[in-house]
Amino acid sequence: MKDIEQLVAQLSSEATPIRPAPAPLQLSLRLAGAAFIYLLIALAASGLRSDLAHALQNPWFAAELLLLLLILLGTLLSAALLAFPDLHQKRTLAYTPAALFGAFILLLFFAWHADTPPAPFPVHSFECTLDITFISLIPAALAFFVLRGYASTHPSWAGSFALLAAFSVGAIWLRLYEVNDSILHVVQWHYLPMIGVGLIGWALGARLLKW
Amino acid sequence: MTEQPADLEHLMRLALQGDKQAYADLLRETVRLLRPFLSKRLRFEHEVDDVLQEILISLHKARHTYDGQRPFKPWLYAIARFRLQDHLRMHYADHLRHAEDIADLENILHDDVTETAISYESISGEIERLPEKQATILRLMHQQGYTAKETAQQMGMNESAVKVAAHRAYKVLRQRLEQK
Repeated sequence: MKDIEQLVAQLSSEATPIRPAPAPLQLSLRLAGAAFIYLLIALAASGLRSDLAHALQNPWFAAELLLLLLILLGTLLSAALLAFPDLHQKRTLAYTPAALFGAFILLLFFAWHADTPPAPFPVHSFECTLDITFISLIPAALAFFVLRGYASTHPSWAGSFALLAAFSVGAIWLRLYEVNDSILHVVQWHYLPMIGVGLIGWALGARLLKW
Repeated sequence: MTEQPADLEHLMRLALQGDKQAYADLLRETVRLLRPFLSKRLRFEHEVDDVLQEILISLHKARHTYDGQRPFKPWLYAIARFRLQDHLRMHYADHLRHAEDIADLENILHDDVTETAISYESISGEIERLPEKQATILRLMHQQGYTAKETAQQMGMNESAVKVAAHRAYKVLRQRLEQK
């Protein structure tokens, strides 16, 4: 008890005015802003796919892009909520990505059925995963750097969503850059690796977001 | 006469503005609130004290994540549960390590009953070759006679971490001495 009283005295002597951290919505919007700027820079450097205007007339492609964008925002919001010990007392919102990923799987399923005759496979394969991963590195580093300044009581989940958000940035970039309409290729080399990314984020979160 | 419950949100808002007295009151109130919560979940009183200290330090580190606008208790209990889980995880991990130790000890007792006990001085050269933190812990505990708790205070670590570090150092030393 004496130790605790000493600790109370020590901690209270260190009390200085503190500015509360930005709320989750604000934090996720800031991160989203940074992600969009980065995406614009990446697209400016790589260029847009030559048939983008035509591709956007395909409702499945447009819906896929829109959902990817929502996944980016949803995972960022979730990671931001999970950065707070009490999830800012908005626990339900943290489940948003689950609904978005569910909708995304459904969309890909319908897009696959609508792909008749199937679009030809591109000549490359795993290079897409590598490109997305490469583009995702900076957003991932930024997200982890920011989240480390908070106090997550769910570090694995926070890490997982942070890495998925970063991977979404890469995935959006590649869909806007690469001329490719093969839904099977996209599922196999763009989106299935997200499962691994989520698991890596889980492990990284447990280590890097400890406090 | 019952004690009036303190307005924790108000105290925390004042603490965030740098009010030392309000912060001290808040921390004391936190201890009063959490002690029964922890006592129900931990067997020994010293464990309760250890975890309480961990929680107070965590509250201090995380205080910028509380904005004074939402209820304080859910925020506090989220931290408390997190630190309690950490403690229990470490506690059970320690238990597993100690279970392994008993097997080791049996081997050693069987082989070395007639050997002279090893003193700190006789292996101080080996100890100095250990990583700085482990060497310091062994020096404090075995040369200067501090307990694990006192060593933890000296080094600004928690007691379990000191025990784990010491245990790892023993293992390395044992391996090195066996090789000689």
